[in-house]
Amino acid sequence: MIPLARLLAKRLATSLIVLIGVSMLIFAIARIIPGDPARIALGPNATAEQIADLRAELHLDDHIVVQYGHFIADVARGDLGISLYTNRPVTADIALYLPATLELVLVAGVMMVGIGLPLGIWSARWRGRAADNIIRLISLLGVSAPSFVWAVILMLLFAFYLPLFPIAGRISDTYAISSVTGFLLVDTLLQGDIRAFGNAAWHIVLPAFALALSGIGQAARLTRANMVETYDKPYIEMARSYGFPARRIANHYAFRPSLIPSLTIIGLDFAAMLGNAFLVEAIFAWPGLSRYGVAVILRKDLNAIVGTVLIISATFLLVNIIVDLLIALLNPRIRYSQRPA
Amino acid sequence: MTTPLKMLSIAAMASTMLATAPLSAQAGGVLRLDEVAVGELDPAIASDYADSILMFNVYDTLVLPAQGAPGHVPHLAESWEGDGTTFTFKLRSDVKFVSGNPMTAEDVVFSLDRMKAMGKGLSYLFANVADAEAVDASTVKFTLTKPYAPFVASLVRLPIVDKKTVMANLGEGEGEMKDWGAAYLTSTSAGTGAYKIVSHNPQEETVMEKNPDYFLGVPAPAPDTARLRYGLEAATVRTLIAQGEHDIASQWLPPEVIKALAANGAQVLTESGTGAFYVKMNTTKPPLDDVNCRMAFAKAFDYGAALKMIAVTDTVSQGAASTGAIPVGMFGANPADQVLARDLEAAKQHLAACKYKPEDFTLEISWIAEVPVEERFALLMQANYAELGVKSEIKKMPWALFAEQVSKPENTPHMSQLFVNAVTGDPDTLLYGMYHSSAAGTWQSPEYLNDAEVDKQLDAGRTAATPEGREEAYSALNARLMEIAPTIYGYDRQSVFAASNRVKVPALSDPSKAFGLDGMGFTFRLMEVAD
Repeated sequence: MIPLARLLAKRLATSLIVLIGVSMLIFAIARIIPGDPARIALGPNATAEQIADLRAELHLDDHIVVQYGHFIADVARGDLGISLYTNRPVTADIALYLPATLELVLVAGVMMVGIGLPLGIWSARWRGRAADNIIRLISLLGVSAPSFVWAVILMLLFAFYLPLFPIAGRISDTYAISSVTGFLLVDTLLQGDIRAFGNAAWHIVLPAFALALSGIGQAARLTRANMVETYDKPYIEMARSYGFPARRIANHYAFRPSLIPSLTIIGLDFAAMLGNAFLVEAIFAWPGLSRYGVAVILRKDLNAIVGTVLIISATFLLVNIIVDLLIALLNPRIRYSQRPA
Repeated sequence: MTTPLKMLSIAAMASTMLATAPLSAQAGGVLRLDEVAVGELDPAIASDYADSILMFNVYDTLVLPAQGAPGHVPHLAESWEGDGTTFTFKLRSDVKFVSGNPMTAEDVVFSLDRMKAMGKGLSYLFANVADAEAVDASTVKFTLTKPYAPFVASLVRLPIVDKKTVMANLGEGEGEMKDWGAAYLTSTSAGTGAYKIVSHNPQEETVMEKNPDYFLGVPAPAPDTARLRYGLEAATVRTLIAQGEHDIASQWLPPEVIKALAANGAQVLTESGTGAFYVKMNTTKPPLDDVNCRMAFAKAFDYGAALKMIAVTDTVSQGAASTGAIPVGMFGANPADQVLARDLEAAKQHLAACKYKPEDFTLEISWIAEVPVEERFALLMQANYAELGVKSEIKKMPWALFAEQVSKPENTPHMSQLFVNAVTGDPDTLLYGMYHSSAAGTWQSPEYLNDAEVDKQLDAGRTAATPEGREEAYSALNARLMEIAPTIYGYDRQSVFAASNRVKVPALSDPSKAFGLDGMGFTFRLMEVAD
């Protein structure tokens, strides 16, 4: 087996074990949160009889091990149960809301890499100068304030005082886009509606930027730190003595070795955005999975909590696998360490 | 930047600029409003405020509350007659569902059977109905197990569904009726309403449009499209209204946000008369098992300060001064000018007569974590009772925990703060669940009251054959509840909504057009929206 395939197989196997562990853990935790899910779902006016009926229907009176058995049997059939929050199948809810969050996180990820890495490179290249100080200050600001603070600040600045961007939602009411992939930026292009694409892009800028700011700061700071360290290496001195242009030294000889440690952190940041997105989604009324996740936790919607956490965990693991593979591609030492002894 | 990247950036910027144009102008006749909770479309599950807005627009009921007056008027029914245990309704013959099917007595019977069989939502309101029978296509007869005077009022919570459409869309389930069409009705509607569903996304919004075949017709100034948005943050709503991108905010906006919007020119709409804010005292737990202690705490409560805390503007408040156990406007309410006021001297006298001494107990004052204003009331009570020399501790409780704890008297806090509404507008649905001894131990009844006189008057109120009889019963009940003080009657609740000036909502701005039923003021066909 080639080293990359071996690495992939290993990661998939461990991810499966992690997912099973997560399902057990969240299944138990969801049942420990105070409050009777049946009572919450049926609302304040429900009678004791109605609550008892729903508890029986949800197997809530059974032992937790029996309940888990029912859950695993349903999952094996692709059924995550009915959400008590929306009264629809959890799988249907996830299919509806996951693309919105993934789209937001992907755009934020592109911003994180597309803005954070160049900022780090420039900062390292001009270290000690004004540009370096400005970039470091911006990075520090990005890292030190959470996404939801940025969301409110950006909304105030660029939607309220300067109404340049929309405040809420994924696209304006005037567009009716039929869902194919659930990713509006893709669906609008598939329908050949460039105005709708622009509108959707215009809607995603502020929430994605708010979500990405912390990652941008993190990526810039890490890249700068790693590159500054690399600049002190003898081979950079040699490149300089050969008279290579500063830009080439930065982009080709200093950046690539610095990318590997940055990539690990960027990967983790990217995956963490799935969980961090909920407040940004709440502020910009973005109908995504993170916001749904918080809503179902507050209502102790057991099926939806377990379904949402499993999907977010699976996506987290997937992103980590991709990052591991990328690092292995970039770093032959890791790639070939996978060979059998 | 390389050429392809440049081109991509230019294309993105160009498409973004192109897209800006249609958004700067609002589509005409669109009403945009929001609610905190998701809207439930199935009439057999619907129960809360967001659900009510949907029900009152996409479905119809046999009767409607009279506007600006007590009682009910025919709606899908032409007329009705009843003798206390049987009620016969004659239906209109010109009503069609959005499917085109005519509305008949079979649909009424099916709607009731479906609600009772599913046993969710507000089905408990019809527990007394033994049978519903379609006498002929336009006559339906309800038989009750025992006399129940508020039955006609309960019918405002029985949306009529299209039997043929539902039967053609039964989902998976056991028995002949399978899921009773629950999966189908969760995402669309099968009603006769003035509006029909265009799309329903429980986390984002429900979009409705005018039903051109509505049996009463929908006036032209009414919104062509209504978008009920869910779960918007207060900061988002404030910004949207300020930018002209939202029309009516939910009642759950913090008072200071409503105040700020009003200061910027937004209109303020109100809905009142069906509920109140109560501080409920656990009558089984010392020292509150002594009526004198309860009276002391009721007299020491600063009603005026509580009202100031919920004032939105100089003229509008989220509550009106309480006059007793029953909100003004309902059967048995005291006159509006007999407001409750703090009387510290009387409180001290009652405390002196109480068998428990202040130094012997610490009062637990709870507040629901999801309702921040209750923390302010808890602090107010702590300060008020400190003046009596009573120690107290404040407990923050999430709703889920509170609802579970009150199921046992020993776990129920001394004082619980609650907003309670009459779901049908009738005092029976407000008071019976709170004070009847058979209903103790629910979130509405943490008093655990067990008083024979209260039980007697509550039963008289729901069985009296005439309005005069009901008035007498509820007046006696009100007097008794003031005498034994199981509750501090904080204030009569009023819902306040900030709204843009492009909408006119007579039912929420003109008392002579008000319905006296939560959510019915949002009947879109009675609104006007400027283009």
